[in-house]
Amino acid sequence: MAKVDFKFKSALDEMIGGMGHSACFQCGACVGDCPAAMHSERFNPRQIMLDAVLGLADRLVCEDSLVWECTNCTCCFEHCPQDVRQVEVIMAIKNMIHDRGISPDNVKANVTSITSTGRVIAISELIHKRRRELGLPELTEAPVDELQKIVGGELS
Amino acid sequence: MSGNGNGQKRYVPFFGCLMTTKHSQFEAAVRRTMPKLDVELVDVEGFSCCPDPIYYKAADKLDWLTVAARNISLVEDLELDMLTCCSGCTSTLKEANHTLKHDAELRGKVNQRLKTIGREFKGSIEVRNIAAIVRDDIGYDAVAASVTRPLNGFKVAIHYGCHLLRPQAVMELEDPGRPEILQKMIEAVGAEPVWEAKHIVCCGTACQDVEIKSEIMHENLTEYSGLKADAIGLVCPTCFDQYDLGQLQISRKYKEKFAMPVFYYFQMLALAQGLSPDEVGLGRHRVSVKPALEKLGFN
Repeated sequence: MAKVDFKFKSALDEMIGGMGHSACFQCGACVGDCPAAMHSERFNPRQIMLDAVLGLADRLVCEDSLVWECTNCTCCFEHCPQDVRQVEVIMAIKNMIHDRGISPDNVKANVTSITSTGRVIAISELIHKRRRELGLPELTEAPVDELQKIVGGELS
Repeated sequence: MSGNGNGQKRYVPFFGCLMTTKHSQFEAAVRRTMPKLDVELVDVEGFSCCPDPIYYKAADKLDWLTVAARNISLVEDLELDMLTCCSGCTSTLKEANHTLKHDAELRGKVNQRLKTIGREFKGSIEVRNIAAIVRDDIGYDAVAASVTRPLNGFKVAIHYGCHLLRPQAVMELEDPGRPEILQKMIEAVGAEPVWEAKHIVCCGTACQDVEIKSEIMHENLTEYSGLKADAIGLVCPTCFDQYDLGQLQISRKYKEKFAMPVFYYFQMLALAQGLSPDEVGLGRHRVSVKPALEKLGFN
């Protein structure tokens, strides 16, 4: 039996702002061009919007949530007659999952990399060498001290 | 409004992470081709990752907006527009700029954080993808005029990818269902664009499910291979990763041979402007570009 989570509903409303996902009238325009839906047995943006509107948090904010199957292509934005911005709803759900510490490892690694080096790719001597071969300017350090002062996420 | 007074084509380039590290040949291509189009790139020190529009945004949207706003604020100091040449960076920086210009509450929250490092997001500049600058400021004719060695007879299958065009309300480039900007850019270097409606599809890279990601790429590569094109042309280093190294992975996984050379658009422009393949690092691609270069009359 699905359980309605009112706290989840109001937190999502707050994160999305405006009418957002509550304007979804389940027409399914978001499904046709969705590359994830085309190749997945369980990913369906229309169903995700319905679960979000109904407040069925258990289906969305959980380990191995299907929201990570979204390709972030935003085709759904273009077709939606109600301006639901499905990828933003999915992003808000991802933020909640990350908040609970159960986001995929590569999301956690990305956060650690940016907050500890300022970049998503570690700099190596090979990278410097290739840049020199191409006549490119030396890479300078990213301002990690400044980043750590302005982000509120994980810093450990 | 653009901060570029006097009609001068001066911009602050934002090369991001991928184009400065793994794929620095793309940074080289942009730096070498822009001066021939009378564009001056004004470098700014102190940028961080844009930050990443997929994973970092998925962790915490306010952190994501704040780091993006810090990068934008460095450019605001110079009163110039920001030139982005990676679709991921474009996605983050254009969306953050757009959102923070329109949402006073979020702007307040972000600026409260930026205040601790003595910075402020003012909303005084535009973030513009290099393709928009080619079309609107440089012009296709000027691109064609810079060409000394037209890529005649070279057939290029286009991959638009997602974040150059979508969401249209934020990217403000053209109709994502019927784009023509890359066709025009390819024609300007004398090459022949091969265009199919499928070329606006996603490369699949941001999907966390490996099976779905592979299925998307396999379908795309099957489509592209049937087009009799000499190369795939694109404008995003993340899509490039998917198509270049990705082709080898998909060939192995599906036991089929895919081997289409992949070019970042500005590498093609560089060749057409008379630069050598080495000057834009074409030897570094995982799928050999040799057949394409032979067709173009190199070595």
